Amino acid sequence: MKWDNSTETEAAPASAGNQIRLPAGILGFEHIKEYVLLANPAEMPFAWLRPAESAPLAFVVINPFYAMPDYAPDVPDADVEFLGLKEPADALLFSIVTLQGSNRASLNLKGPIVVNRHTHIGKQVIIANASNYSVEHPLPVAAATV
Amino acid sequence: MLILSRKSGESIVIAGNIRVKVVRVEGETVKIGIEAPSSVPVHRQEVYDEIQRSNQQAATPPSTPLPKLTPPKK
Repeated sequence: MKWDNSTETEAAPASAGNQIRLPAGILGFEHIKEYVLLANPAEMPFAWLRPAESAPLAFVVINPFYAMPDYAPDVPDADVEFLGLKEPADALLFSIVTLQGSNRASLNLKGPIVVNRHTHIGKQVIIANASNYSVEHPLPVAAATV
Repeated sequence: MLILSRKSGESIVIAGNIRVKVVRVEGETVKIGIEAPSSVPVHRQEVYDEIQRSNQQAATPPSTPLPKLTPPKK
């Protein structure tokens, strides 16, 4: 199933916490399966994917189309089936952001997190066209001014 | 781990619907052809490793201040 930037992937109703279950976890963090998606308007377009049980870590995520309007991930059929997606509009799509200091960041375009917006079940998928994309796609950022 | 010897041009079949064929052997490099249903994801090990490494670098304390995005908007 192919996505493009016409797909509605906006990050969910802000402020209200959104439970997301990742039955396979995130690669390298397979033991954590329950997350909450938090979107703080002041931090948009970034959002937080936080373990539901308190943990010393969290992931910053973003709608990848903000950074790369022509991003065209090809989500493998097995994942589409696993997530029960009928069409791209059933899904929320996030890329994990790596912060490198206050003014450098990158995002992972090979392994987006795809969430079924109806069931709130998601998975970090390896897109079939991963070789076209980087795990360290530079994100144009500047330090936040207080 | 099951270890099989195969010559160039020979194959193995997994689960009746996945065929892995040694296409060519050139020095240190083995070219492998894989025929599998589209429902079976096939990736180089390195892709998994790369994504795992990226995830580990991305994990951050929940209180980390976020930068501002400065995209040249279309």
